[in-house]
Formats: sequence, structure tokens, C-alpha cells
Amino acid sequence: MSRSQDSTPSWPTATAAGTGLREGRVLGRDIKRVDGPAKATGRAGYGHDQRPANLVFAQFLCSTTPNAEFTLDLAPALAVDGVVDAMAVAEGKTVHLGQPIAAVAAVSPQAAAEGVRALAQHGLEVTVLPHAISIEQAMAEGAPAVRRSGNVGRVRSSDEGDVEAGKQEALDAGGVVLTRTYEVPVQHHACLETHGMVVDYSGGEEATIWASVQGTFAMHDGPPEYLELDPSVVHGRVEHMGGGFGSKFGVGVEGRVACQLSKRLGRPVHLFMDRETEFHAAGNRSGNRVTVTAAMAPDGRITAMESDSLRLGGLSGGSYAGLPYVYTVANSKSAMRSVHTHTDGNRAMRAPGHPQASFGMEGILDELAYANGVDPLTARLANLPEDEWNGVWRRQLERVAREIGWYEHEHRTAPGPHEVVGANEVVVGIGFGLSVWGGGGSRGNEVELRVDRDGRVSVAVGTQDLGTGARTLVSAITAEEFGLDTGQVSESIGSTRLGRGNMSGGSVTTASLAPAVKDAAHKMSVVLLAKAAEATGVDVAELAFAEGGRVTGGGVDIAWKDLCSRLAATGETTHGSWVRELQDSGVHGAQAAKVAVDLVTGHVEVLEMVCMQDIGFVLNHLAAKSQVQGAMVQSLSYALFEERLIDADLGLALNPNFESYKLANSTTIPPMKVLFDPEDERGVIGIGEPPAIPGAAAIAGAVHNACGLRLASLPLTPDKVLMGLEELRARG
Amino acid sequence: MKDFEYIQPDSIATATELLAEGDAAWSNVSRRAIAGGQDLFGELKTGIVEVDSLVDLKATGADNTIAVDPSGNLRIGALVKLTDVAELAERGPVASLLAAAALSVASPQIRSQATLGGNLCQRPRCLYYRRPEAICLKKGGDECFAYGGHNKYNAILGGGPSFIVHPSDLAPALVALDAKVTIAGAGGATRELPLADLYTLPSEGDVTRETVLTPSEVLTQVETQLPLVDRMAGTWRSSWQKFRERDGFDFALSAVAMCLRVADRRIVDARVVLGGVAPRPWRSAEAEAALIGQELATHGSAEFDALAVAAGEAALTGAEPLDHNGYKIPLTKGLVRRALQELSR
Ligand SMILES: Cc1cc2nc3c(=O)[nH]c(=O)nc-3n(C[C@H](O)[C@H](O)[C@H](O)COP(=O)(O)OP(=O)(O)OC[C@H]3O[C@@H](n4cnc5c(N)ncnc54)[C@H](O)[C@@H]3O)c2cc1C
Ligand code: SF4
Repeated sequence: MSRSQDSTPSWPTATAAGTGLREGRVLGRDIKRVDGPAKATGRAGYGHDQRPANLVFAQFLCSTTPNAEFTLDLAPALAVDGVVDAMAVAEGKTVHLGQPIAAVAAVSPQAAAEGVRALAQHGLEVTVLPHAISIEQAMAEGAPAVRRSGNVGRVRSSDEGDVEAGKQEALDAGGVVLTRTYEVPVQHHACLETHGMVVDYSGGEEATIWASVQGTFAMHDGPPEYLELDPSVVHGRVEHMGGGFGSKFGVGVEGRVACQLSKRLGRPVHLFMDRETEFHAAGNRSGNRVTVTAAMAPDGRITAMESDSLRLGGLSGGSYAGLPYVYTVANSKSAMRSVHTHTDGNRAMRAPGHPQASFGMEGILDELAYANGVDPLTARLANLPEDEWNGVWRRQLERVAREIGWYEHEHRTAPGPHEVVGANEVVVGIGFGLSVWGGGGSRGNEVELRVDRDGRVSVAVGTQDLGTGARTLVSAITAEEFGLDTGQVSESIGSTRLGRGNMSGGSVTTASLAPAVKDAAHKMSVVLLAKAAEATGVDVAELAFAEGGRVTGGGVDIAWKDLCSRLAATGETTHGSWVRELQDSGVHGAQAAKVAVDLVTGHVEVLEMVCMQDIGFVLNHLAAKSQVQGAMVQSLSYALFEERLIDADLGLALNPNFESYKLANSTTIPPMKVLFDPEDERGVIGIGEPPAIPGAAAIAGAVHNACGLRLASLPLTPDKVLMGLEELRARG
Repeated sequence: MKDFEYIQPDSIATATELLAEGDAAWSNVSRRAIAGGQDLFGELKTGIVEVDSLVDLKATGADNTIAVDPSGNLRIGALVKLTDVAELAERGPVASLLAAAALSVASPQIRSQATLGGNLCQRPRCLYYRRPEAICLKKGGDECFAYGGHNKYNAILGGGPSFIVHPSDLAPALVALDAKVTIAGAGGATRELPLADLYTLPSEGDVTRETVLTPSEVLTQVETQLPLVDRMAGTWRSSWQKFRERDGFDFALSAVAMCLRVADRRIVDARVVLGGVAPRPWRSAEAEAALIGQELATHGSAEFDALAVAAGEAALTGAEPLDHNGYKIPLTKGLVRRALQELSR
């Protein structure tokens, strides 16, 4: 609750007992979602839900082969009852599995599906061309060219120190050198709301579009052009959306086609991908294969590292944060290349490139540590960078280790047994991982805050809420300023008619949005306190907002309603924009996982996970904790279940559905403890991505610690565990 | 999904008549029976099956009750929902085995719609079978794609030329309970079969089918016939061990239904039936022979280990893994061990 006319905006500074974290009256606590009831009851309107009058439903016909030429005759689709239009989307050639070829619009989703079927059966002539789906196929001699520039991209390399000398140093000291290959598969974003758009346009000079995108204003990039309208008359809306995770930065081919059909028909169009299309034409987290040779001295220091990695981003380049990831290795050499295949290009996904790098790096660290008889915690501490963050990671690692029970754990310097001993068929292990991310904000949000004479407070900004709680923050920051409850502030977001908002991605939303809301609120409090001073004759420096919106100080106590009643008939309006000092960038985290490995069945059960993060000022504990837990769930799912299956010979997608592309579910998700670092004194920082980084590596490390089995590829499925255990037993 | 006619006959007799009006050969069938629809709708929606009409067995008012005879054997109507099977009071070895198997099927939502008859007659889950683009042997093509492809989920026993595993959880449990089925056909005909004989191997007949049913036949009833009240000494105990890649809901990577009759800790009779590893519920006479006559030692003892190993080895007699499903051998042995562990308590 702010004071005084010339103060600059700042976050609450009181410290909560127990957590040691900063808290205000509203902020810094558990704030329930303002849109929770609407979502829980189904009232919240997602793009997919919109049904303007006279709507037609469109669907894609997609390629079922990876590489093909085709000819298209739209007549069979147009002949289907209820079909009103059909158009080609690709031109004569498809270059990835699941690529949209054509779209059919009809009066019902069923008729559209019928039209697509008719087109597939009678309107499409396909000439199948040789394809490359696997790394081996793409890199083979004479492989079909995926991109004109070739199937293997340019090598990006780095070279520091003297790797050979580093290896020798470790060996001389009695350490070890190991070479390993680690592999992670493509992961899907698995957004519950698929990619798509509803275009409410019936001819004429105006259109409203509802898209499932990560940026409201992305709707001005493309649609006005497709609709041949000025952006000022194209109203983009994204009131609620069902997940993006990096895959929904633009309106995509689905948005383009929806607009074009709508323009052609002069009718509203609903075009959302079906689940199968979503799996193969809406992006993914790129896969990766890295071969690494590294040396560790007996004290746990990695003295040399050499890595060669292949990024598997399909038609795109893939992303990889590189080795030695967050750690410091004095002598280190790395090479990185993209390998292109006839599959959908990767897109950003929750900390692009980081979980992949984490899996290899934490993996080789564990292997080297155990080979040296060093425990994996010591090994991590021994390789932290010697900069200002050393102490942060150190205290985080030690804390998560304590929380998960590492110091009482039975096997630390060597893994547990891979053989059943007596009646002991289940072994328990613990693993660790670290993360790093930016999460700072930037200029771009324009917030408008209005207080009316009857005491109503409304705050508006065009930003979107991906399900992360941005909408709640808008209310909560405003409420905090005046001592009100979030329920007393009405917020509007998700519209291009409101003030500009940034795109959500890279964990930038909170650090971009919160300062701008705070700025508007602070300016309003300055105006209102001045009014109070004027009315009472008390020096404004003595006045401040208190509980319930009252203004107190200097012996006065003015109720919120009374104060507002002094405003002009038009109320008061302030505008807020980004304030650099209210936010920061650069977050660090550590995670620990505890698993049980069943030596009889190969079942891996995650028993517990702990995460500690520094994220600056925690605006909403509940939302921040949920955000971290959601990321941990996603990494658990990546660790244990998720795998896109394509038959590389046939070029056939085998599991583009939620039955056989397996996701973690409530029965597989253990308690997940989230701790925020109380020693972090900074402003707000985004938290969306970093906690999605180290979980999978920590779980793989825990399996290793439990039974000595290092699985070199995700997911850690029972078939791999069982065969790996058999191999260990055969080795003795 | 193509439009179809939806028919609600008022009796099983009418239903079988209607089905008989369709084609006599499965390869051309354009009219099918539907019960809970949890499998068939999936097939229709992905386009691997097309029909002109569906005959809804639920509309017939046919038997959807569960009757328990005094010995503890059960007679269950084919239209009984899996939820109801899962909620059977766990009294006795028959009800507890069936309840456990039913509870391990899919999710609560699916169990609340799915029927026993539909569960026993459901079609394969082989990844290739479920993709409309892959016209494999099972769908009238001339190649099994799983054989040299992604076969992690396929058969290690009884496979060839198709390598599906039978997906039903209730089938192995019921085979272990000596169940027989009643089948109604056109013209009021009925026949009874041991459930084990309902299923065929791909090498034994029509590779596109998993059962001996003709297109006009439907299951109406299942009756367990475990010899609970003969003069042999001892009491029966049962165990259901299903292993899923993902807990919560998933098909079995392997499953073991085991019933043992034990007298004075000695095994005097046994049923061992494997699920998830063969194109039909796989009753293992070898495993049963390895168990009968042996003492049921307590878990953790050397005798227990020896018995578990012997029974596990025997159960996998003849197993021939493909490239990616070799893990099913140690896994199934492990489940045999877990079943024995449960029964030795
Ligand atoms: C996501 C998912 C997970 C699943 N997991 C499991 C699992 O873990 N274990 C498991 O066992 N099953 C599983 N299933 C399959 C499902 O349980 C079975 O499909 C269900 O029991 C089928 O019953 P239904 O009544 O819905 O069958 P329907 O879909 O109505 O019918 C299935 C087939 O049987 C035929 N049929 C139906 N009733 C009869 C009858 N009385 N006589 C002759 N033929 C008949 C139909 O023509 C059809 O071909 C799963 C399904 C899904 C979608
Ligand atoms: S196992 Fe059977 S269903 Fe699967 S690909 Fe082979 S023939 Fe087809």
C-alpha cells in the first residue's frame, strides 16, 4: 500500500514468518485465480468454444506420408452434403508427415469430416517419394534431401582450454575418462486446446477473431492481410486459452486458412486442428543425440569434456543448450549440428534446448562420479561456476538434498543393488539436476486503470492468460495498491482493443506485465492520495492506503467510497508501462527426485520431487507453486512416458493420440515440494520454464542411484529397465 | 466417420436376425453389434472399420445381471458393465480375481460404459492395426508390419503370421476360472463353448479374426466353473497381476491370472493364464505342471525362489521374442513370481 506523492513504485517489503519471503496484504500470498470459478464451471469462453451465428466448421486433410507429390481435385469434397467450400493449403508437394494439404468447410463438423474423407479417397493422387525419418536415414549416403541445403546443418563449435591435457590431468590423479551417448526423443506440447481460430466475419468492414495463441496481438500479424481489412477493424480476442508451452506464437497455417475461408465465404469459420493434426503439424520439442567424452578427477572435478550433438528438429533446426550446460569445465570442446527429417519442425517448448542438455550433462556427471566413488551431490558442487551464482546453486542443491533425505540415504557414493537380495525387490534412489533461465521482462504492456466515482476499479490491458494466472495478477497488483480485495477490481484482458500487451513466451509475461500494472496503480494512488490531502488539509506525505481502501494518517480516516465520491464525473484514469526496476532476470534452480525401481518388473515410480528456485519477488505463491509443479509434471512425463513413435521404414505415424502417446496422469504424479529462495531480494522474474528443465535428468539419476542402471535414453520405460538390469546381471 | 444407421432391437433374437441379414463373411461385414462402444467407436472414428448400421445389444434388455452360486462361481450377463464386475464383493477366489481384473481395465469412465461381452470381443491394439493407413495382414493386407517394426507391445508366444496380443484383461482371468460362454446365433440357435476355445491363434484360421464367432453370433453369458466343490482337498486362492507401462490406465504389457488350490501348503491344482503376451489368453499347462505337487513356500525363502523360477521358466516355454519385446520374458516371470508371492501369504 503505497505512500507519498513522489515515491517510486515498489513491491511489499514485509517478511513472512516461516518462509522468510516478502509479502504484502494480497501479494506474496496464495491468491486464488479470479477466473477459477468460470473455468471450473465451463463458463470461461475459449476460442474453441465460440459459435457465432451462421458458422461453418473447417477441417484439414493432412498428409499421411512424409515426402510426396500430389494432385488435388476439390470436387469430391464439394459434392458432399453440407460442404460449402474447400481449398488447397499446400501446393503439389508435402514435406512432412501430417502436413495440411487442403481444408474443407461445412455446415457441421461431421460434414466437414465427410468432405475430408471424400477428398482423401477420390480427390487426392499421391506420388510417394523416398523419405528420411530417422537420423540414420537422414545421414545415409544418397538420402533424399529434406532441405535444399542438405540434411545436416552447419557445425557450430566451441573450444576452450586443452581437452587432451584435461583428460591426462584426471588420469594422472587416478580419475576416469568415459564416453557415453545420450538420447532424448521428440516431446509434444500436448496442449489440451488444439491450435486454431474462430473468425467471426460475415463480409463487410469488420471482423472479430478468437485464436488460441500466446499473444493477443499476434492476431494482427497475418489476419488483417488475409481478410483484406485494416488491423484497426480486426478485433483479436483471447480471453482464455488452453495451453501453448511455446507452440502458439503466431496464428499459423490454421489461422491463415480460417481467415481465407471466411473471406471467401463471407461467413464465420471455426478451424481447430484435430488431435492427430495437432501431434504432427503443431510443433514439438526437438529430440537430441549427444556423444560425450569427459574426464573426472577423484575430487569430483570434471577436467575435460568433448561433445558432439545432433539436434533433431525435423524440418527446423532443433534447439540444444549445449554441454557442459550450467557447469564449468576448464577444458571443453563441443560441436553441434542439426539433422533434418521429413517431420514437422520443432518450435519453442518450455525452456527450449535445456532439458535435452540437462539430460546428457547430469547423466555424464553421475556416471563419472560413481566411477570415481564420489557422491553425485559432491560432484555437482565441485563443478559449479565460480561466479556470483555459485552460492545460490550450492544452497539450493544442499537444501533439496536435505529435503529429499539424501543425507540419510543408504547408497551415495555407489549405486544400490541390481539384484534382488532376500525379499528386497524394490530399491530406492535419489537424483539431482540444475537449471538456469532468464525470465526478465521488457517494455510493451500498456495498462489502463480507471477508478470511478462510485468506487469501481477497472484495469485493462490486451495481454493474454495462457492458463498461468496473468489475469489474476492484473487484479491482485491493483488491489494491493489500495488495500482492496482482488474481487473489488474488475480486469479486462485478451483483446486487441485494449492497451498493447507482450507475447507470452520465454517466461517474460510476469516480469513484463506486473511492473506495468504496478506503475498504473502507483500513479493512481498518487492521484487519489493528493485528492485526500486536498480534501482534508493533511500533508500528503502523511497519508497512505490502509485495509479496505481507506486513506489514513495525520489523524484522518477516509473510506474508499468517500474518497472516490470526490472524483470528477468521469472518474480518474492512469496509464502504466514497464518499470525496469520492478523486475529482474536470471533464475537458478535445483531439483531432486526420489524413485523406487522394481527389480522384478522394471517399474519406475517417482516417490517424491523437490524443487528450489530463486525467482525474485513471488507475487502469487499459489500460482508460482502451480507453475513449478506443472513444469515438474511435464518433466516427469518426459522422463517416464512420452515418446513419439513413427515407423521409419513405412513413414507412418503410430501414436498421434492420447491413448498411445502416453502422458503422466494423477496416479503417476507424486508429492512435489516447491521452495522459493528467501535470500533472493530482486524484483519479479518469470518462472514458466526453468522448473521444466532438470526433472527428467534427476529422475534418470535417481534410477541410476537406486540400482546402478544408467539409461541413456528417455523415456525410462520398463522394457529398457528390465533389459538393462539383465545386462548388468550378465556382467556380474 | 461415415454416417450409419443405428438399430435398437428389442431382443437378442431380433439382434441376431438383424446381424444375419448382413454379410456372412467378416471381411465384408457392414453391420455390427455394439455394446458399450468403447472399442468399436474408436475403430469407427479412426476409420479402420466402416459400417452401414450398428445393432445395439444394450437395447435388447438381455441379461445384465450377476448371479453367484452357493459355491462362489459366477454367471454374468454379457451386457454387465465392467464397473459392476469391478465392484463385486471380493468374496472367494472367483469374485476377487474377476473384480481385480475388471478394476484394472482402462479408466473409471470407460469401465462405466464398457461391457463384459465387448471386453471379451474387443479388437487388437497393435499400433499398426489401429492406423487406417497400415493395411496389414489383420486387415486383409499381406504383411505384418509389427514383425519387423515397432513390436514392443506385441506377442512373444503363439505369434505368427500376425503378432497381436489379445488386449482383454477379463479374458485371461475368466479362462483361469474355467469359464464357458453362451453364444446366441441366428434363428434362435445357442451354443456353449469353453471361453478358451472362443479364441483362435492367427495361425489357426482367419488371421483377420480373434474368435470363432460368425458375424451373426453374439455372446450372451459367461459362467465360471472352477471346481470349487469337488472332493479334492484344499482351498482355492487367486491372484491377478497386471503390469502397465503407465499406471492409472493402460493395457497390459503382461498379465498373469493364477488360481491355486492349496492343501496343507501343498499345491494340488493350478490355473496359470497369461495376458498381454499372446494373440489369445495363454493358458500355460507347463507352468501349472511345475506348480502342482509343490509346496507353496513363503516369500523370501530359497524354496520360494526355486518355485517362482521354475514356474516362471515353465510359463514362458516356447517364448520367441521379436526385436523389441524381449523384456516381456523377465517381466512375465516376475509377474508369475508376484502372483505366487500373493498366494503364499
Ligand atoms: C483408452 C482405452 C483404454 C482401454 N484399456 C483397457 C484395458 O486396460 N483392458 C481391457 O481389457 N480393455 C481396455 N480397453 C478396451 C475396453 O475396455 C473394451 O474395449 C471394453 O470392455 C469394450 O466393451 P464395450 O462394451 O464398450 O465394447 P464395444 O466397443 O461395444 O464392442 C467391442 C467389440 O465387441 C463386439 N461385441 C460387443 N458385445 C458383444 C457381444 N455380446 N457378443 C459379441 N460381440 C460383441 C463389438 O461388435 C465390437 O467389435 C480400453 C479402451 C480404451 C479406449
Ligand atoms: S501384429 Fe497383426 S495387427 Fe499388428 S501389424 Fe502384424 S498383422 Fe497387423
